[in-house]
Amino acid sequence: MTLDVADITGRWDPATLPANVRVGPGCFLERRESFARFRSTRDPGLVIGRDVSVYMWTAFSVDPDGLVEIGDGSVLVGPSFMCAERISVGRRVVLSHQVVIADSDFHPHDPEERRRDAEASAPGGDVTLRPRVESAPVVIEDDAWVGIGAIVLKGVRIGAGARVGAGAVVARDVPAGASVEGNPARVVP
Amino acid sequence: MTAAGSRLEHDWFPGELPASVRIGAGSWVHSAHAFQHFRSERDPAVVIGEHSGVYVGTYFDLGPDGSVDIGDYTTVVGAIITTDARVSIGDHAFVAHEVVIADGPWAAPPGAAIARRPGGPGPRDVVIGPTAWVGARAVLLGGAHIGEGAIVAAGAVVDSEVPPFATVAGNPARVVRRAAS
Repeated sequence: MTLDVADITGRWDPATLPANVRVGPGCFLERRESFARFRSTRDPGLVIGRDVSVYMWTAFSVDPDGLVEIGDGSVLVGPSFMCAERISVGRRVVLSHQVVIADSDFHPHDPEERRRDAEASAPGGDVTLRPRVESAPVVIEDDAWVGIGAIVLKGVRIGAGARVGAGAVVARDVPAGASVEGNPARVVP
Repeated sequence: MTAAGSRLEHDWFPGELPASVRIGAGSWVHSAHAFQHFRSERDPAVVIGEHSGVYVGTYFDLGPDGSVDIGDYTTVVGAIITTDARVSIGDHAFVAHEVVIADGPWAAPPGAAIARRPGGPGPRDVVIGPTAWVGARAVLLGGAHIGEGAIVAAGAVVDSEVPPFATVAGNPARVVRRAAS
């Protein structure tokens, strides 16, 4: 297979994305591969507002029932969206390098259920037999900035203008305007 | 020394190196794609010494004032370097997979439409001393000065000084071993 340089330099045509992906005007979508794991069957399954930058390290891994929404003017440097249900990102949000945002654990906690999960999701397995796993939407409000390598877990709401430090692991809500750091993430002055 | 503005002969990417990039004899850089977001106006902006390897996954996202200096016999397995300041990596240093070296925690490629905090401190330099070892997925932020021979453990987040020959780990990174005296 020959490389089409347009596919990695933002010169490919977003109109070739699935019909349930909505992209606003003025967006920069650097790499087609960012959408390779988008498999939502919802409509819409992905909504990108206007003037959003999606750099090459970003990955939209969206399950069939998932919906990801990105507000106007946000900058997605390198987040991986692991979406089973809903991840909502506000306006002018920055998600830096190697950020992971997951609205589910994607696998059961119980060992017996994990055995079934492993067999159902193995090559040749029947994925319809996978145990049901809880999900809880993630919301990142306007003007929040999420630092390099931070991980945002299911059910978390990051308030408007909050700052999440590099490498933070966020499992609880972050108040608007607060700064959090560390693992587990704690509010810092 | 690779001629400025040239193509790498092994390159899969149909682009040229920026003219302000100097690569010393015996050194290897994976691709001109490493400079896809490069906006430095300095010259030279990137200087790589002799017998150093800069491998797949490494990117030079340098702003107008950004510059990088890499010594001799140094290995950069895969680091995203994103700065509008200076990053200096000494001789015989080793930077592992998926490291990010950035002038701040919310780094974005140069030219990204992000409001800079008014009145905040400007971007700060990062220094990695000779024979230092930066482990996989470590994050080095502006102000990180890794001393000679020091080790930054995998996943550590560093934004300050690491003494020579010390080992630091964690987030925020703490000294877990001091130099043998």
